[in-house]
Amino acid sequence: MEKILSTAFIISLLESSVRMSTPILLAALGEIYTQRSGILNLGLEGIMLMGAFGGFAGAYFTGNLWIGVLVSIIVGILFSLIMAFLSVTVRANQVIAGTAMTILGGGLATFLFRMAFGIQKLPPSVEAFKSIEIPVLSKIPILGPVLFNQNALVYLALISVVVCAVVLEKTTFGLKIRAVGEHPKAADSKGINVYSIRYICVMIGGAFGGLSGAFLSIGFMNTYLDQMTAGRGFIAVAVVIFSRWNPYRALGGAFVFGFANALQLRLQTIGFPVPHQFLLALPYLLTILVLISISKKAEFPSAFTVAYNRGER
Amino acid sequence: MHKLGNILKEMMKGILSPFISVLLAFFVSGILLLLVGTNPLEAYSSLLNGAFGSSHRIGETIIKAIPFIILGLGISVAFKAQIWNIGADGQFTLGAIFAMIVALYLPFSNIIKMPLSFIAAFVGGACWGGIAAFLKTKFNANEVITTLMLNYIAFYLLEWLVKGPMMDPNGHGFPQTALIHENLRLPIILKGTRLHLGILLAVILIIGGYYFWKTVLGFKIEVVGQSPYVAEYSGIKVNKTIGITMCISAGLAGLAGWTEVFGLHYRLLENISGGYGNLAIVVALLAGLNPFGIIISAFFFAALVVGGNSMQRMVGVPFSLVDVIQGLVIIFIISRVIYTRWREQNHGKNTVNSIYYKLIRKFSKDEYADSTCSTR
Repeated sequence: MEKILSTAFIISLLESSVRMSTPILLAALGEIYTQRSGILNLGLEGIMLMGAFGGFAGAYFTGNLWIGVLVSIIVGILFSLIMAFLSVTVRANQVIAGTAMTILGGGLATFLFRMAFGIQKLPPSVEAFKSIEIPVLSKIPILGPVLFNQNALVYLALISVVVCAVVLEKTTFGLKIRAVGEHPKAADSKGINVYSIRYICVMIGGAFGGLSGAFLSIGFMNTYLDQMTAGRGFIAVAVVIFSRWNPYRALGGAFVFGFANALQLRLQTIGFPVPHQFLLALPYLLTILVLISISKKAEFPSAFTVAYNRGER
Repeated sequence: MHKLGNILKEMMKGILSPFISVLLAFFVSGILLLLVGTNPLEAYSSLLNGAFGSSHRIGETIIKAIPFIILGLGISVAFKAQIWNIGADGQFTLGAIFAMIVALYLPFSNIIKMPLSFIAAFVGGACWGGIAAFLKTKFNANEVITTLMLNYIAFYLLEWLVKGPMMDPNGHGFPQTALIHENLRLPIILKGTRLHLGILLAVILIIGGYYFWKTVLGFKIEVVGQSPYVAEYSGIKVNKTIGITMCISAGLAGLAGWTEVFGLHYRLLENISGGYGNLAIVVALLAGLNPFGIIISAFFFAALVVGGNSMQRMVGVPFSLVDVIQGLVIIFIISRVIYTRWREQNHGKNTVNSIYYKLIRKFSKDEYADSTCSTR
């Protein structure tokens, strides 16, 4: 018990919570755009896996982590185009389309990884992003080591929260997205192109999903592993609903999951007297609890999962 | 004679479009293989050989088809009601666990244990799915996410059981339970293979599934799927129907777990569901949720999985190509509407619909007919 209550333990726990919440936060930020425009992208998991592979391959072959990040974003955007096509142009059922994306993304990433690197004794790896200590700020007690001694992608995610909030709340583009998600017919009659806004939003979601995957492969680990997202894409979707489509609340939601994950790891290492499988299941249980607590109150965008058809009256 | 022609035409339509989707998926995967420098024909022929090359392999393919058929049937029940049960993996696992508890620990004779474990498997699956249904109806919690999260929880629950309380005491520490008694195992029906009686159960369930849609309950489920509002107005209790649908769907997944344990492994192992849940979704969708179609598409994917494993061994093409093909199959299935829509809009002259409307326009002068034409 003393081990749990020491300051050093708490600081390291919080620090790793922030790190572990980052992939969920990034994916959730992108999904906020997608869902606000009225589309439920359940293929996030597949997009993240593609991004994780793309980020790793980019960094491995060029030796530059930032090129890896760029590749992951491009891969995320290109792959999400399939989802955009299925949900906007084909007007397909979005749950089924998302399932297809998840199966395809996981399969394709693993396939390409195996073809590019073969099966090796030691998995190929890169030098992952290192923590950057921000001068002055990192000296603040508790908050300093927790928030200001992280790697570049964590900072990028935190900045993105503010950027997304401003874009969604304060710009005409954000207004257009909301109009399209709430009342596509009215938006259309005001001259907003419903199809292109939705395409763009799904692609923004794809860019963030790809980046989130890259965080896993070259920010958090230093290699690509099959199914390394482990359901985080779906957890991110739950966080978006929990956050009621607000980036700041998404930050809080993602942190809760990062905390559950970090706690689970710490408790395992100090030999907490509960089977570790129960601790591993904790984040998934938490997702369900979060959904229960929020779903009844959540006001989904009115046109959520409803495909828009211009010709229809 | 004319009627027979129509039926044949309908059947052709039912078979042709999934067939084209599959063909396209293979074509695109073939391009992918070419891009990474593998001869697709070589890969596909080793896949085919792996699935059907010998009587043993054919047996293996049929064995794999058994859980796919039952799981696909279960998924189709939920999907018809537009309930997106993505959690077949977890329900399968819970079914297997419940059945195993009956088989290993309850003090009954084997004659009682057999049917009791069967019921327990159904109940185990139904409970796991029932949680998601309860959360959906009571709290409006999205069933896609809850069923998926329950998959992960079931996965860890099973891992804990086979490494902890249910571990075989004489198993030298292997993460598995003890074997079930020989009299409890499903008999093998074809010498030289591992093909077990479960195939009969799968076929019976499919026939049952066909007649199920003709019952009042089946009809109610379909109405709820087509429009919950219409269902509400016509006096169908929507929430109750959702609960029942989910329990049937999940219970069937539990039964698939039963056949896998009692027919094939005879014990519980880690990760026994092996990602069958995702495959079952593709099976059900390819079959257009039709019970008899499920048999065909389950065999197809069973061949793909068995052949895919040998393709990996023989030609070195990763098994994940099978996942790629699955994903592509769904994408092409749902995209084919766009093709029909495009044909109606641009090449409308040839379609039955537009001929019909042309006739209306020709023989009636009223404006209504014209307006129907223009909206088409």
